[in-house]
Formats: sequence, C-alpha cells, structure tokens
Amino acid sequence: MRVFHDLMWFFRDHRKKYFGGIVLLILVALLALIPPQVVGIIVNQVQIKTLTTTHLVYGLIVILVTALMSYGLRYWWRVLLFGGAIQLGTELRTRLYHHFTRMSPEFYHQQRIGDLMAHATNDISAIQETAGDGVLTLVDSITTGVVVIATMAITISWKLTVVSLLPLPLMAYAVSRFGKALHTRFSLAQAAFSDINDRVQEHISGVRVVRSFGQEGWERKNFVTLSQDVVAKNVAVARIDSLFDPTISIIIGLSYFLSIAVGAVFVVHHAINLGQLTTFTLYLGQLIWPMLAFGFFFNIVERGSASYDRVQKLLSIAPTVKNHPDALAIVPNGSVHYRIREFRYPDTTGSPALRNIDLIVRQGETLGIVGRTGSGKTTLLRLLFREFDIQEGDIAIGGVSIYLMTLDSLRQCLAYAPQDDFLFSTSIAQNIAFASVGATDQEIINVAKIAEVDQDIQNFPDGYDTIVGERGVTLSGGQKQRISIARALLQEAEILVLDDTLSAVDARTEAAILSELKQNRQGRTTLIATHRLSAVEHADQIIVLEDGKIVEQGTHRALLDREGRYWDMYQRQQLESLVEAGGVSS
Amino acid sequence: MSMETLDYRAESRSRGVLGRLLRYMVPHRWKVGLSLLILLAATGTDVFQPILIKIFIDRYLVPRHFPTTTLIELGGAYLGLVVATSVLNVFQLLLFQILALDIIQRLRVELFDKIQELALAFFDRTPVGVLVSRITNDTQAILDMFMTVLSSFVQNVTVLAGILIAMFALDATLAAYCLMLIPVVGAVMYVYGKVSGPVFHVTRQRLSILNAKLNESLQGMPVIQSMRQEPRLRREFGEINESYRQARFRNTQINGLLLRPLMDVIYLLVLMLVLWYFGTRSFSQVVNIGVLYAFVTYLSRFFEPVNGMLQRMNFFQQAMVSADRVFQILDNPGLGPRQEGEDNPEIAQGRITFDDVSFSYDGKTDVLKHVSFTAKPGQTVAIVGHTGSGKSSIVNLLMRFYSVDRGRILIDGADLRTFSNQELRQKIGLVLQEPFLFVGDIASNIRLGNDHIGPDQVEDAARFVQADGFIRNLPDAYRSPIGERGATLSTGQRQLISFARTMAMDPKVLVLDEATASVDTETEEAIQAALEKMRHGRTTVAIAHRLSTIQDADLILVLNHGEIVERGNHQELLSREGLYHKMYLLQQGGSRDVG
Repeated sequence: MRVFHDLMWFFRDHRKKYFGGIVLLILVALLALIPPQVVGIIVNQVQIKTLTTTHLVYGLIVILVTALMSYGLRYWWRVLLFGGAIQLGTELRTRLYHHFTRMSPEFYHQQRIGDLMAHATNDISAIQETAGDGVLTLVDSITTGVVVIATMAITISWKLTVVSLLPLPLMAYAVSRFGKALHTRFSLAQAAFSDINDRVQEHISGVRVVRSFGQEGWERKNFVTLSQDVVAKNVAVARIDSLFDPTISIIIGLSYFLSIAVGAVFVVHHAINLGQLTTFTLYLGQLIWPMLAFGFFFNIVERGSASYDRVQKLLSIAPTVKNHPDALAIVPNGSVHYRIREFRYPDTTGSPALRNIDLIVRQGETLGIVGRTGSGKTTLLRLLFREFDIQEGDIAIGGVSIYLMTLDSLRQCLAYAPQDDFLFSTSIAQNIAFASVGATDQEIINVAKIAEVDQDIQNFPDGYDTIVGERGVTLSGGQKQRISIARALLQEAEILVLDDTLSAVDARTEAAILSELKQNRQGRTTLIATHRLSAVEHADQIIVLEDGKIVEQGTHRALLDREGRYWDMYQRQQLESLVEAGGVSS
Repeated sequence: MSMETLDYRAESRSRGVLGRLLRYMVPHRWKVGLSLLILLAATGTDVFQPILIKIFIDRYLVPRHFPTTTLIELGGAYLGLVVATSVLNVFQLLLFQILALDIIQRLRVELFDKIQELALAFFDRTPVGVLVSRITNDTQAILDMFMTVLSSFVQNVTVLAGILIAMFALDATLAAYCLMLIPVVGAVMYVYGKVSGPVFHVTRQRLSILNAKLNESLQGMPVIQSMRQEPRLRREFGEINESYRQARFRNTQINGLLLRPLMDVIYLLVLMLVLWYFGTRSFSQVVNIGVLYAFVTYLSRFFEPVNGMLQRMNFFQQAMVSADRVFQILDNPGLGPRQEGEDNPEIAQGRITFDDVSFSYDGKTDVLKHVSFTAKPGQTVAIVGHTGSGKSSIVNLLMRFYSVDRGRILIDGADLRTFSNQELRQKIGLVLQEPFLFVGDIASNIRLGNDHIGPDQVEDAARFVQADGFIRNLPDAYRSPIGERGATLSTGQRQLISFARTMAMDPKVLVLDEATASVDTETEEAIQAALEKMRHGRTTVAIAHRLSTIQDADLILVLNHGEIVERGNHQELLSREGLYHKMYLLQQGGSRDVG
C-alpha cells in the first residue's frame, strides 16, 4: 500500500485521469447491477404469469441501454487508467535515463549493465502494473464488491448473502497464496533461463575453441543439463499454475451450491421468489472477479513496491563527480599541470594508482606516456577528464584548476580516443561526427583521411553510410581504433588524448597517422599513452610510469642517453630487429 | 511506420510453420491423447453442473416437491461434479504444460545440435546476440504458443463446444439462435487480429529499439560523457520512449474497443435474445424456469474462454514469427565438413601436405590459389603475408573448419576428409589469436570436457608453458574462478592458459594463429618461450604477424593475394631481397624511423 503513497506525486500530476477513471469504474459497477435485476423480474413474471409484451420490451430496452452505456464507460476508464500507467512507465524511464547520463564512471564500475537494464525494464513494468492493474484491482474489488454485496443483501436477502459468500474469502486467500508461490517459482525459472542464455552466448562466442578442441559432445551435455533444469523449474511453476484455476472453481462451485440450496429453502418459505434467486446467482457470478482481483492486488502491489524501492535507490545515488558550486563556465586553454600527491580508486586498498606526479605539458607539446600494463597510464588520462576526482593534489589547465570549471567546459577542450574504442550502431559518418553533429561530409572525410581510415571506409558497400555493429558490418580492431581517432580529431579540441589507440594498427599506418597528426595539430597539445615506443619517439616529452610513479622523464634522445628503464624497453623492442639486421649484413 | 509493418508476416506462411510445429507433438501422441481425454471428461463434468440445477428447479423447486434422499443425491452429485471437474482440470492443465515444455526442450536441443553442425561461415555472418536469441527467446515464444494453442485454445474450444451441446440438449431452437454467436465472435476475432496484430508488432519492435538504445547508451556512457553528448542522447531516447508510449497507448485503445467491453455488449445482446425467446413463449405455453436459468448461466460462462483466446492471439502471431526464424536455422543447408568414408586413418607422425589447394568462401573470388607445401614431421612452417593474403584461410582449411574445394590436404599421406573428427581434434592443437576462456575455474579451462585429463596432467601442462607460477599465486590456484571472458586475468595470462589447454591435449600437430594483441614485453617473452617449447617435437604451422618470431622456422611461405610468392628459410628469403625482405625492412623501420 505504501507504494501508492510513494506514487502520489504521479497521481497528483494526473489527478484528472485518475479521478475520472475511478468515477467511471464506480459507474460501471452500478450499471452492471441492472441486467440481473431485469432478468430476475422477467423470470418471476414468467413464473407467476404476469409478463406482458410491454414489460418484456421495456426490460430489454433497459438492458440494451445499459449495454451501450457500459461499453463506452468501460472503454473510457481503460484509456484513462491504463493510459496513465503507460505514462508513468514512460516518465520513470526518462528519469532513469537522465540519471544514467549523470552518473560517474564509479557508478558503472559498481553496477552491471545487465542489472541496470533489468531495473529499466522489469522494475518499471512492475511499477507500471501497480499504477494500472493495481489501481484497477483495488478500486474494482472494493466498488464492485461493496455495491454488489450491498445490492444482494438489501434487494434480495442478507441472510442468503452471508451464507453464500462464506467460501469466497478463501478464494482471495488462495489467489494471494498461489500468486506468491507462482512468483517465487517463476523467478527461479527465469534465473534458469538466464543461465542457459549465458551458456549459449558463451558457446557461440567460443565456437572456434569448441570445435578445434572437439568439445561439441561436452558442450551438448552441458546444454542438455541446463535446458533440463529450465524444464524442471518450469514444471514447478506449472504445478502451482495448474492448481490455480481448479481451486477457484471449487470455491465458486461451493458458493453456487450454497446459494441454490439455501436459496431454495428461502423460495419455499416465500422469503424470496424464483426470479430473485436467479438474480442472486447472477450477482454471485459478478463477485468472482472482485474476489480474484483482491488476491491479485496484493501480489501486484508487493511486486510494485519492491520494484519502486529498487528504482528509487538507484535514483538516489548521487554522481561522485560534480560541478563545484562556483564552477566557471570558461573553456580552458593552455598548459596542463598535474600535481598529484596520491590517487587511489574508490573502494580499493593496497598501493595507490598514482603517486607524486608533478608534470607540466606546455601548450602545443606532445606528451608520451609509457609503462607496462597497470602502471597508471590510463589513470593519469582519466583524471584529466574528471572521470574520478583526486583526493590529494590538483590538475590545472592554463593555470586554472579543473575542479574550478564546469565539467562541460572542461570536456569541451578535451578530445578522447579511449583504449576500448566504443562505436555506436549507427553509420560510420554518424560515429565520426558523434561529438560534432553539425559536421559536413567533407570535414568527416578529412579527419578519416588523417586517421588513415578513409580508404577502408570507401571499400565498405555503403561507404560512410555503412552501419556498424550487430546490425551492420563488423569492423576490425584497427579500423575501430582509427575511426575513434577520427571522431576525436573532428572535435577540434585544444587537447587530444590517445590512450593506446594505435595498438591494433600496423607500423606503417601508425607512422602515417602520427606524422599527419603532427602537421594537423600544430600549436595544440596531444597526450599519447602507449605500449609501443615507436608511437612516442617524436614526442616533446616522454614519461615512464611504474607503479603509479614517474620513474623517468625527458625526450626520446635524453631517455636513451640515460640508459634506464626507457632504454631497457627500447632495447628489448629493438633487440630482435638488431639481431636480424646483423643477419642481413653478414 | 510503413517500414516497421513491412516485415509483418503474411498468414499463409504462418500456416506452414504451425503445421510443422504441431508435428513436434507426434512423438507424444499418447500423452496428447490422454490429456485430450481428460480435458473432454473435465468439460463434460463442468457443463453438466447447470443441468443438475435446472433439474432441481424444474422438477423439485417449482412444483414444491422435496424427496429428501433424491435431493441429497442431487446435491451430492452436484458437489461431486464440481470436485471432479477441478481434479480432472488439475491433471489436464499440468499434462499439457509438461508436454509443451518437453517439446520445447527437444526443439532447443535440436537447434543446439544444428548450430554445432553448421559451417563456421554461418557464425561469421550472424551476430552472437541474434543466435542466442534464436535458441532461447524465440523458443520461449514458441513455448508460449504451445501453452496457448495446446492449453488455452484446445481447452476453450472444448468448453465452448460443451456449452453449445448442453444448450442443444436443453432447447434446440434457442440453442440454434445462440449458434449465431459463433460467427459474431469469429468476426470480432478476425477484426481484432487484423487491427491489433500490426500495432502489437510495432509495439514490440519499438520496445526492442528502446532497449537497444538504453543498452548501448549504458555501454558507451564514458564516450557520451567525455564528448558531452548527454543532452542529445537524452533527446533521442526521449523520442524513442515517446513513440513506444504511443504504440502502447494504441494497443490499450484497441483492446478497450474490441476485447472485454465489446464481449460484454455481445453477452447482454444474447441475454436479451434469450429473455425475448422465453418471454414470448411464456405467453402461449408453459416454460421451464430451470431451462431459462441454465441458459443464462451458460451464457455468462461462454465469454470467459472467448476473452482468453482473444487476449492470446497476439502472442500466437509473435510465436509464428519466432518459429519461422527457428526453422530457418534448422533448414540451413550450410553444414560444416564431416568425415568421409570409413577408413579412420590416424595421425602418427604429423606430415602435412597441401597439394595444389585453391579455395573460395563465396564461390567467386579465390582467397587461396594453387597453394602447395609440405611440413615434414617436427618441422615448423611459418606463413607470412599482408592482411587478407589468405593466411587464416590456410588454418581454416587445415582445421577442417571449411572443406577444400580444389586440391587436397594430406596428413601422413591420408586425405584430410577421411579423418574422424575426434582424431583431428585430438591430434591437431590450435592456438587462436584471441585467447577465449570459459566461465569456470582455471583447471576446467585447461581440461575442458576431457575427463581423462586428471589434475596432475592439468598442472603438468601449466608448468610446461610456465603458467604454473602465476596460477599458484592466485588465491585459489587452479580452482580460481574466471569471470566473464576471463576478465580478471591479463591478456598474457589468458594466452598462457590457452596454451596450457592445448598442451594438455598433447597434440601431434600445432597450428598457431599468432597473437597481434599488445601485451607488455615481459609477458611477450614468456609467451615466446612457451611457444618455442611447445613447438619442440611437433609439426607446426604458424601464422606470423611479426617476422621476428619466426626466424628459426624451417620453411617460411610468403603469401600475396592467395598465392605463395616466395618460400625458403629466413636467410634465404632475406638474401633474395624480394617481398619478404621488404616486409622485414618495413617492420624494422616501423619501430625506428618514425618522427
């Protein structure tokens, strides 16, 4: 019931719809009382032989008018109540989506996308059901229930009413009980289904491994086991499900039996007439739905409020990265100054991800960041975007702390080609122009040329209009990386950040892209993190990271002269080619 | 809108699909028969109840004649019928549902088996998500269909027939009038199907677009945020959300116009007919109140099954679309190659010969042209070439992922086609570019489904590729769980585990598709050392992307557009100063002269 209180904001916003819907429901319940009365009167008149054609026609017209009126009203309340519920679902989805776009990376580290999807689909439809069927079952079971029972008691016999209604509360109980059991078992069945889904997904992704190791038999065995589990869990659901209707019909049958048997006694004693008994059993038929609805109601509300709580909990998570209250909306410009005493990822223990970083990248310079996996290269770049905030220290661009400007203006001066290049399932052109929606075709082609991906794109069947992803072409890793570089270039940002975005590109293409970049980005700053030293040899400044610290710093030449870690790495990468070079000359 | 309705399937097609689906019931015909019998019995006991009340009213209540024993018997019989109906229904419902579940289980396994047999080309063309959804979601939709067609439709139709029969038994003339209900209800169903089908379809489609958009936004959120596209995506999502709302609302409108409210009107109209019939008859003759009562009761029951069927019609259509998709996969003729003949040759030494092999994926352009070479037992043959030169096709053919069109591949003198699958898979070990790990623990990833590989052999294999060290350092060593796609391990570590997996099989022949992914130099060294050890004593066919890793190969083949243009060992090829030499210089220069 609390969920109705929680949803009050919505009901209040749409009070006309809900108020109207409830009034209409009550009217429909009242109208439904009329036909059984007419039937009872005619039956009685037939029996005592007082029926006339006028009576009959008059009665039938009453039924006809009732029928037409309730048709209109029934349609109307459905549109109001269910239309309102659909509106609620839509509004909640929008809210969630807006919320998701405000959440910081930390949120996405803690939540799994599958779970977030489940909240946005299953939970919202449960809440929607509460606002639609929930309201309906509540209002209907109360109004129809009260109105019909009152009419039975007042116009026919209250004693008969009490007797024949005795079994009905059992029904509401049974519905609610079975409903709960069904829900529990159904969740288990869903879980089994999702297991098999995962399994099939894995099997198909790894089909080459399965085949090359001849593991088809094993995979089949696993699949059969899992699908048998799905069957077993569903049979458990079916066991309850098939009890449901029959139990209800036993209870209803009992109720009819009581009303006929006891009603007959009443007829004999002239307490009621036969027509009234007929009316009575018709009314009894009308009570079945409200009783069922009452049982359904509790389950709907229970599910709805659990879902509402989950959605609320999600909505109440505040973004960890926010604008400073006095943040400036000025797009920064100038040299980048890192001063980090220590940075740790939230909720992690052990050694910090970065320590004692003091680094200045002057405007127009290219910074190379090298180091092995986990040394902190990506972290250093992510901090610049404020994906996470530093606990101790500061980063400034053009002398202004990035924490004193708005996120929007900060990100306006940065273009990012991330390590896991994510493309959207739209056309290649739209992907390249993702951050610059107004870009012309020529601008898009220009950046694609710089990123050395124009030729690849031209070779696709639809060129720049080729759709990528599940519904379109599958791109190679290198193509994705180059498109993501083109996307970043098109932003024309002051600072370009490449996070190992050339790893899947061959050496010649890498060289071509780097030299194009150098020309194209004259006077602007570029940060490149990489595994391959060839990508940063031309950089104005190179830092070598190890365990989150800068262990070496300087130009390619200077670092080689130092004969330290950089030199080691360089030697290792060159070693083989040097040996081979010796092989040629000998 | 017009685009969306285009692929809405014609009914004629769905009829063939339905027939084929129903044939899945044939093996279960005894169960189906039994369930139908129980259903008939349940319907009988159900529709007989109002008749008892009619007898009570007409014979005893109206004439005020109350013989106690008879009445107790009558009452007892009524309650008996109520209980019998319920008990029979429990069994009948359960039987039908289990039946449907069994059928779907069979269909799923059949589909899975089919997918196992399909040629790999199929997987290259079909996205994983689509295939998964065929095996799970589509079969689930078909399951719903079986539940509705078998359970609901059969049941509801039986109940309707039962009611009509009972009506005829009571009063044939009036029952004949009531028969008019059937075309009326039929017409409503037809109109409803016509009107709501497309809307329902559009609704589902918009929902799937909505979910796809949401899913993609969640995955790409870092990109969206760093590129400040939140407002645009919110707007786009808002539009999709609104179009979905409109479709849902149209659904509600159609349901409101054509479902329950309309059925209720029809019910009241027929009630008027029944009253008119009895009313006018009562002017000229005596009518039985009990019959009137029974008719009124039957009428009120008539519409429950009808409503049930109407509501399920859309799911039925959805299921037909799903079934059609499933059958398309089951009918796919593109099977992977299988053993030919009964010779069962064995791979003892590992001599591999490509004899004038040409190959094309699409039947038009050849990706391999007249390729011939021999790898002697224990030798390493390396294949180099640019992207698209046909390197991977050689592996695909050697692994018998695709069948050879022209020319022959021989292993130890026997044609590749004549080997049993098991022999090939056990004796030829493939190491793929991207290490793929399954959900499970490390040991199970090394052992896979091979029960004959014990824990000792698993550890031996890991030790052999020098993965033992880091595995032992993990919290649960060999029992350490591996997350989705082995996310908890580094690329290099995953690569080593996949090596160990290959070594645990102890293959005679090794096929290496060298990794291009960037791993740091030290892991790279560990991997190279492991590979060298693995190659020792085994015939190896290696695809190399970096020339530096293959200098000690016994034979290097340089592929260019599907042709072998140069062959020889490292020194020979360099001294020839041809393509290999150029590639070599390029790779060298790539890491030195930039900037």
